[in-house]
Amino acid sequence: MRGLAMRGRLNAGLVAGGALVAVVVLAALVSFVWTPYDPTLVDAAAKLHEPGGGHLLGADKFGRDTLSQLMVGARTTLYVGIVAVGIAALLGTPLGVLAGMTPRGWLSELVMRVNDLVFAFPALLLAVMLGAVYGAGTLTAMIAIGVATVPAFARVARAATLQVMVTDYVLAARAAGRRGGAVALRHVLPNISSVLIVQASVSFAIAILAEAALSFLGFGTRPPTPSWGRMLQESQELLFSTPRLALWPGLAVALAVLGFNLLGDGLRDFLDPKLRRIRADG
Amino acid sequence: MTLYLVRRLAVLVASTAVAGVVVFAFMALLPGDPAEIALGVNATPEAVAELRAQFGTDRPPVTQFLDWFGGLAQGDFGTSYVTSAPIGPQISDRLGVTAVLVLGGMAVALAVAVPLGTYAAVHHRDPLGAALSALSQVGIAVPAFLAGILLVFVFAVRAQVLPSGGYVPLAEDPGEWLRSLLLPWLSLGLVQGAVLTRYVRSAVLDVLREDYLRTARAKGRGRTGALWRHGLRNASVPVVTVLGLQLATLLIGAVVVERVFVIPGLGDLLLNGVAGRDLLLVQGVVMVLVAAVLLINFVVDVAYHLLDPRLR
Amino acid sequence: MLTVDGLTVDGLGVRAGDTELVREVSFSIGPGERVGLIGESGSGKSLTALSLMGLLPEGVTATGRATLAGRDLIGVPESRLKRLRGRDLSMVFQEPMTALNPLMRVGAQVAEVMTLHGRGRREARARAVELLERVRLPEPEQLARAYPHQLSGGQRQRVMLAIALANEPALLICDEPTTALDVTVQKRMLDLIAEVAPALLFITHDLAVVAAVCERVLVMYGGRVVESGPIREVFTRPRHRYTEGLLAASRLTPRGTRLPTISGSVPAAGHFPGGCVFGNRCPHADALCETVPALTGEGHAHACRHPAG
Repeated sequence: MRGLAMRGRLNAGLVAGGALVAVVVLAALVSFVWTPYDPTLVDAAAKLHEPGGGHLLGADKFGRDTLSQLMVGARTTLYVGIVAVGIAALLGTPLGVLAGMTPRGWLSELVMRVNDLVFAFPALLLAVMLGAVYGAGTLTAMIAIGVATVPAFARVARAATLQVMVTDYVLAARAAGRRGGAVALRHVLPNISSVLIVQASVSFAIAILAEAALSFLGFGTRPPTPSWGRMLQESQELLFSTPRLALWPGLAVALAVLGFNLLGDGLRDFLDPKLRRIRADG
Repeated sequence: MTLYLVRRLAVLVASTAVAGVVVFAFMALLPGDPAEIALGVNATPEAVAELRAQFGTDRPPVTQFLDWFGGLAQGDFGTSYVTSAPIGPQISDRLGVTAVLVLGGMAVALAVAVPLGTYAAVHHRDPLGAALSALSQVGIAVPAFLAGILLVFVFAVRAQVLPSGGYVPLAEDPGEWLRSLLLPWLSLGLVQGAVLTRYVRSAVLDVLREDYLRTARAKGRGRTGALWRHGLRNASVPVVTVLGLQLATLLIGAVVVERVFVIPGLGDLLLNGVAGRDLLLVQGVVMVLVAAVLLINFVVDVAYHLLDPRLR
Repeated sequence: MLTVDGLTVDGLGVRAGDTELVREVSFSIGPGERVGLIGESGSGKSLTALSLMGLLPEGVTATGRATLAGRDLIGVPESRLKRLRGRDLSMVFQEPMTALNPLMRVGAQVAEVMTLHGRGRREARARAVELLERVRLPEPEQLARAYPHQLSGGQRQRVMLAIALANEPALLICDEPTTALDVTVQKRMLDLIAEVAPALLFITHDLAVVAAVCERVLVMYGGRVVESGPIREVFTRPRHRYTEGLLAASRLTPRGTRLPTISGSVPAAGHFPGGCVFGNRCPHADALCETVPALTGEGHAHACRHPAG
């Protein structure tokens, strides 16, 4: 794995981003075995419980424990992010590599045109369309975010492949008569892997933002499963009386996104400073 | 340039048509029969057939598509199966509100990003410049609706100087109109401004290293003068591309922000349509938003070519 | 230092932090005089030029004294310097492909240097076309409306020359103006510079070029002027051992193709020996060379303890 060689040194962004992401992942993992309360438990006695006294971060209008909800919400966030980025990477990478390996072919042209078309359908519109037809839920949100992220991967994979294709070792392999598929697996993929990892991190941040927005609008994870976006939506009506209900999920979203963004930037510098140039926007 | 314009225009028309097919196929062909939905399970087959004929859904899909898509060009979006109200006027009523929201947000984003990004680039060695870069990183992590909630908390809940939501039409009261849009503009603009700041910074940094800036100083311009006269326009070339992506993002962000601030724009209409299972309405609004994204891309591409004589 | 009209440089030094890049450089250029400044890369010749223009990079500072027609150039506030730049002294850079603003029409870029220094817009536009003609660009009217990318490298360098000459400066500085150009274009460009320059400081590493353009030459090495004098004398009877080596390396020996070169390589900035800067590479160096030799001699001067010839 040439692309993953330890080329760089640890940098501040990498450390800070890694730490934030680690906190989110840890919260999600711990939530599988332990949360202070059942996050979906409605408890009239704990209604709008102030922080402290068992409810470390307080409770919402149904008496549900905020910390427990945040922890399970981290799970939802990561789940949606992993599936969405997975969809985008699995679809986008082969398309981009294919387009990059045959830069003048009709296939390449077709891939890029389809890419442009998908670009016109942002995640939110896809999710609304899917939701309107099939009913909204975690699955429609993941698919919408994933499909909308395909162009970013395809573009980055194509740009990186174009660069790899003109390197000496690929030219040599092709001159030696290696088939396209073999070149793609042996030379192209390992060499663009670091670009893809960086893109995955950046896309993850965008997926978290999208998931939060979709849940906020009611097109994401359905109740009672906790989600940061819906916690924010539910907090809005109580903003005047209990603003902390918005504070915690808001902070969670912002820190998770910041974490993945910093991680992406940090990885870029760490893996290969030259990568700075190739990055899909958005 | 003319040739390019013609070609790019053809691409715009073609991609809008293809997007139309996608939206139509998705919204009109996949879900159940709107006539059956409208009449419920106990309807007689005759009544369903009659309503189908009335909706026009008994015709072949291609005819339906051509009818719908052809109507769009004249602003005819069809008649809602649910409310029996024509959809076109509803969309045009709200298009303006969303456009004002998006453009205002963009103006805020530019007003934030151009000075801050330029400052951060020129002073990239100073602590303040570095702090600005870090601050923009934080801004990127805040979704527009969260910024909206935050702004409502600060300006409506605490300071109580601006309304927490609602919309007053311009014709009714210009002052209140402005007050009702300030927070939505800021919610959209500040976040996008943070994203844009990073691009402006890197574009200006690139330009600062250019030889022609030294030439400008050799002519007798000061540092600031050289950057102002020769640097910013050159830096704007890459920034314009990002601006297009951002306008598209803002358009979608507006859908969410309209919900936060209860603003009767396209996003509000879209979400109401989904809630009311008004699929033809949803289909129309989605088509308008998709066409808007494509149109923005077109304008940006053309602007890019106008800005850079090397591409003309 | 008798010249009042021309350029007088006295004890110029350039430093970046603790590293001295140029030391004790003194010379003068009279009106109409064409002086070459030669040396390898890293010798400090470009920094010398940039310090006169007040265009040193951030963190690099100049000391000493330099005057042009009696006006100070060193240690003067930027607000005062920028009124001199482009009017009293101007500069043509090495890389013509990137020196012009790609988004601005050529004519406007020439006119800009005139409007900046107080000329009316309309007059500047008209004069820009005249200037383009003066630097022998074909169809100047049309060319003024072109963008830089539509011009060849040689044409762009002529545009730069037109910009430099626009306000009839007292001194023109050229930093390797033909290095990036095709050999065929070089000659005509050099002839043009020699013809139009009011007073010229011409920087190059190419001895043939300097011989073609200049009357007098300064040889720089390690941030110091090691030899100076009329071209003919310096090139036929070099005194400093560095100049001698440089000339030998540039000449094909009559019998073969083997070039005698100076042994070793140019040290990094700040790593030149303490005495004679050439001491560590000079075959004649001895204990005497541990102290800095002064630049001595009327007309043809050199800073060497063991001069050739």
